[in-house]
Amino acid sequence: MAGGQTNRLNNGGLIDRSAPLNFRFDGKSFSGFEGDTLASALVANGVKLVGRSFKYHRPRGILTAGSEEPNALVELRTGARREPNTKATTAELYEGLEAASQNRWPSLRFDVMSVNQLFSPIFVAGFYYKTFMWPAKFWEAIYEPAIRRAAGLGRAAGVADPDHYDKAWAHCDVLIAGSGPAGLAAALAAGRSGARVILCEEDFAFGGRLLSDGGTIDGLPAAEWLSRALAELAAMPDVRILTRTTLFGVYDGGTYGALERVNDHMPSPPEHQVRQRMWRIVAKRYVVAAGALERPIVFAGNDTPGVMMASAMRTYVGRYAAVPAKRIALFTNNEDGWRTVETALGAGLQIAAVIDARPDVSPSHRSLASRNGFTVLHGSVSGVDGGKDGVRKIAVSLTGGARAEVEADGLAVSGGWNPAVGLTSYHRGRPKWRDDIAAFVPDGAPPGMVAAGAANGDFGLGACLAKGFAAGVAAAHGAGHSGKAGTAPVANDEAFSLTPLWHVAGKGKAFVDYQHDVTASDIELAQREGFESVEHLKRYTTLGMATDQGKTSNVAGLAIMAAVTGKSIPETGTTIYRPPYVPVAIGAFAGHHRDETFHATRLTPSHHWAAEQGAVFVDTGLWKRAQWYPRAGEKDWLESVTREVKAVRSGVGFCDVSTLGKIDVHGLDAGAFLDRVYINTFSNLAVGKARYGLMLREDGIVYDDGTTSRLAEDHYFLTTTTAKAGLVMQHLEFCRQVLFPELDVQLTSVSDQWAQFSIAGPKTRDLLKEIVDPAEDLSNEGFPFMGAREVALRGGIKARLFRISFSGEMAFEISVPARYGEAMARNLMLAGEPFGVTPYGTEALGVMRIEKGHVAGPELNGTTTAADLGLGKMTSTKKDFIGRVMAGREALVAPDRQVVVGVKPTDRARRLRSGAHIIPKGQTPGPGNDQGYVTSVCFSPTSDQWIGLALVERGRERIGEIVHAHDPIRAEDYDVELCNPVFYDPDGGRQRG
Amino acid sequence: MAEFSWDVRSPLDRALAVGRYGARGDAGVTLTEIRNFDLVQVMARRGKAAEMAKAAKARFGSAAPKTPQAVQGSDATLIWSGPDQFFVLSKGGKHAIGALGQAFAQSASLSDQSHARVLISVSGVKARAMLAKLSSIDLHSGVFAVGAAAATSMDHTSVTLWRGNDLADGLAVFNVLVFATFAESLWHTMLDSAAEYGLAIAHSEQLA
Amino acid sequence: MRIVCPFCGERELGEFTYLGDAKPVRPAAGAGADAVYDYVYLRDNIAGVMSENWYHGGGCRAWLKVTRNTLTHEISAIEPAAGAGAAKVGA
Repeated sequence: MAGGQTNRLNNGGLIDRSAPLNFRFDGKSFSGFEGDTLASALVANGVKLVGRSFKYHRPRGILTAGSEEPNALVELRTGARREPNTKATTAELYEGLEAASQNRWPSLRFDVMSVNQLFSPIFVAGFYYKTFMWPAKFWEAIYEPAIRRAAGLGRAAGVADPDHYDKAWAHCDVLIAGSGPAGLAAALAAGRSGARVILCEEDFAFGGRLLSDGGTIDGLPAAEWLSRALAELAAMPDVRILTRTTLFGVYDGGTYGALERVNDHMPSPPEHQVRQRMWRIVAKRYVVAAGALERPIVFAGNDTPGVMMASAMRTYVGRYAAVPAKRIALFTNNEDGWRTVETALGAGLQIAAVIDARPDVSPSHRSLASRNGFTVLHGSVSGVDGGKDGVRKIAVSLTGGARAEVEADGLAVSGGWNPAVGLTSYHRGRPKWRDDIAAFVPDGAPPGMVAAGAANGDFGLGACLAKGFAAGVAAAHGAGHSGKAGTAPVANDEAFSLTPLWHVAGKGKAFVDYQHDVTASDIELAQREGFESVEHLKRYTTLGMATDQGKTSNVAGLAIMAAVTGKSIPETGTTIYRPPYVPVAIGAFAGHHRDETFHATRLTPSHHWAAEQGAVFVDTGLWKRAQWYPRAGEKDWLESVTREVKAVRSGVGFCDVSTLGKIDVHGLDAGAFLDRVYINTFSNLAVGKARYGLMLREDGIVYDDGTTSRLAEDHYFLTTTTAKAGLVMQHLEFCRQVLFPELDVQLTSVSDQWAQFSIAGPKTRDLLKEIVDPAEDLSNEGFPFMGAREVALRGGIKARLFRISFSGEMAFEISVPARYGEAMARNLMLAGEPFGVTPYGTEALGVMRIEKGHVAGPELNGTTTAADLGLGKMTSTKKDFIGRVMAGREALVAPDRQVVVGVKPTDRARRLRSGAHIIPKGQTPGPGNDQGYVTSVCFSPTSDQWIGLALVERGRERIGEIVHAHDPIRAEDYDVELCNPVFYDPDGGRQRG
Repeated sequence: MAEFSWDVRSPLDRALAVGRYGARGDAGVTLTEIRNFDLVQVMARRGKAAEMAKAAKARFGSAAPKTPQAVQGSDATLIWSGPDQFFVLSKGGKHAIGALGQAFAQSASLSDQSHARVLISVSGVKARAMLAKLSSIDLHSGVFAVGAAAATSMDHTSVTLWRGNDLADGLAVFNVLVFATFAESLWHTMLDSAAEYGLAIAHSEQLA
Repeated sequence: MRIVCPFCGERELGEFTYLGDAKPVRPAAGAGADAVYDYVYLRDNIAGVMSENWYHGGGCRAWLKVTRNTLTHEISAIEPAAGAGAAKVGA
């Protein structure tokens, strides 16, 4: 036995004995070899106990050798990379690997919670529903935390994952899942036919069962054939083969999800590399060659460590040269199980007995038994004597009623094979039952998908190769490729005979779903309580709902249900299959999109300049906007914002407003088009003028607003709010293409073409005179309010100047091509220096628009009409426009609608909060007298108190009324006065001056 | 009176660091930002697609692309950007918006996009592998040939993508026009996506 | 899901935005409140084959009329909106 590995064979296997690897399990040091999984290395070290079960904390060992494993789930790695519920059977061994068993305290061998077993009669199906019903408030406070401590499947790392994940698209003609004999034959056929092929293999090695079972193909040993096939595929430029990649989902239109575990086999990903990569694969044809899963037989004690699937035992011995047991008993109901006997004997292991549930076994097996000195018992295993140290004795019920005992330290079990029908069933395909193999096979797969080989119920090696090859040829042909595929590889089929056996009645817990601790008696109980439908059975018992999705348990569970209800298995049916086939980390779905890069961001043209000024940025949609520009000595945001507002009101300031959506509207019918999308008229707007416009939805509610200028007869420049920019573009394209296709209109987004700044304050013109060419007339006569035209700037560039104001001050907006945006900000600072120019952010912008009573997002809230906003007079009665008719509906013109008014607290020192409800003064707040709410608030430096806008029932008729503001969230109650929403310069003299 | 200088600054000015990034060894991906270009969106007036095509032919010596293609005209590349519309990409002002107005006066609307987009050229042995992380388009040589173009999205951001002429060593060149305000964000995503292959980063004034 | 844009070719779902029933036609000006009410609110939502408006906003910005089976996502026909591109519509 090699390197302290007590259960490692000296020869054979696909491990590299020249590459030893050290690892730790539950703090204890072990060694294994390159090519091991954690499970095979534990087997090689004689470790049988690897975990405690979910509900009863029963000792558990390794059951399988693949991704279907329900028992051997560990916490892999430590610290931030600790990952719970990792299957030891698929985790590749690497130097320094650290793993810990789950669900035990204080240790795996001595687990306090295993007392749950003593109370197991009460932990039956539906236990939680039945027991913790009363009193209701105990659930959150007491029951749930206690249950969560007792149950559970490992611990999350609790800190951010330090690794990178990745997403990528791939395209092919033929996608193949599985590189067993069927998958490889399909890949060879499709590749030779000229198709672009992607072959995904879940394992880190190609070959599927060939790696464990060997065989002879085209007269060559399987390993030799395998390496030739892989070499041929590798030489085909349009064949991509991916290892460590699981096809986990099937989506519409030939799109598939696959997870590549790029660096899960490393202690941590090498620098610049990703941990895992999510593939979205678009394929014209798909061959499912995902093989079949051997299924357990349900009998008392079938979860004792040392009880293992027969094929898994073959894999450990054959592929990994690791010995799960030295004296092995086999319990089988089929011919295939006997291959484990052959493998074990070939490795020099002892066979204790074969318990075969079939009426008879072949003469050759009898002679094998007698040559090797073991008995063949006809009957079933009815119990296992053993514990955390493994199997000791096996109780057998012989056909005819007698009992026998077999001494063994391992029990291999084979209940037959279930084709992997998940991938073919994700589109509601219902697998169909085949009596000859007593298993479900794929049916109703989506168009373009076909299963081949064991995945389709053809278990023989020869059949796998032939059917896989034929499927590859057909798939390539279907995708338009019909090059010479040559002939299919040839091999013999192994004998197959099976007598269905699902459950051996007996005393003691007989597990169906190992991961969720669902027993045969739970299923019988569910039936007695009326949960007969498989979907109810699943939810009541949680059968198949663990992370393994019932790969080893579902069919046995419904077979037992069929037996107790007296129905056939196909009548009982399967549950709906849903992706993913294996658990997929959220990190892989997120890929690059986490933390700062959670979504794409947009930066304004002056962003980096603002950052240099120390601006505080705020996320508004995708944008980062300067919120305010703190100065040294300012104690909080309010002080900075107040300074900015005062500076604008008394001097001049500027703000980057490039985030507004900007759209070029061209065409001979551009004016007519705008007349139909705005409530007011634009066809009569003079060239060189701007106008504020309001758009409705077709149901009469306000959609968006903004200023639109006419730059030429057939050219308007339309602006939208920042939030709606993309949606308004989509809406306008809908109007152009679907509603009014007869109009000559062209739309282009120019949002990113222009850097736009608002310059506001009484000294705006002084600043502009510095920077605008002296030949330009900026006087009130030369450039009146709502004027819009191109001007020359000093230093030789052109700008567009708009005399519009959001702040209520004398203001202009100036646009320059975006790459001048940063220079514009610097030049505005330079030009404004003599006037104390102050850059201001979105907070000051917001304060000034509230002071001015301008509505914005909080008022354009998807429930307000133009009249609600005080903009009803804009509505044209001389033309049709989107939303015109519905805006006239009774409820939208009702006199008691909530409309925009101003609010100010009667106590001048009080702070307002948006969201507070408006209640008539003196009444007790309740839904019956809720008359609206406060939409926007700010501290107004101009009024020297908090002010706000509110939507209040009949608000405009109630100016001067004192009402009550009720804020249950913040437990505040106070009085406010309803007032004119225009707090600042109500006659508009300043902006027109 | 103050002197005003109007230096143009690429939206990638801060983010783009010329040199190497990511894995060491031969760079698998080369990213080159092309700066200072003229880009004009040309959209046919209703019912004037044929006239627009005629005007394009007269101006550039090659027909405007009717399908997703990028075609080389005299001193300009014409890139399909949607039905009955295309971009004119050029240098030096010869085909800037002011210069094109007359040619398309009767047939199309023009919109200046020179500052609205950033142009990034992607090449290298791992260019396709890197772009597969950003683009759902099949860029296989047999599917997306030289001259193929697509109006599509990368990383949820609208882009115009086209394949330029292959380099002397036979490697493909992919050009990406991305909206300027998204450019820094997409740039970081590109760096992240290509880091494992190693990057060579540059900027250039030359159109590929 | 994948949609074959008549202008761009086959593209992934993420490039498209769904709007809904494409059957209702916006009433002409002066059609009356009832007709507009029907247009705005009476939309079909069929379990089966349905004509739908989709927007290729992540691509060529064309609006498309897509005939789709809402149960299977099978798309049987796709055509551009009448006013997509510069095609002359009407007299």
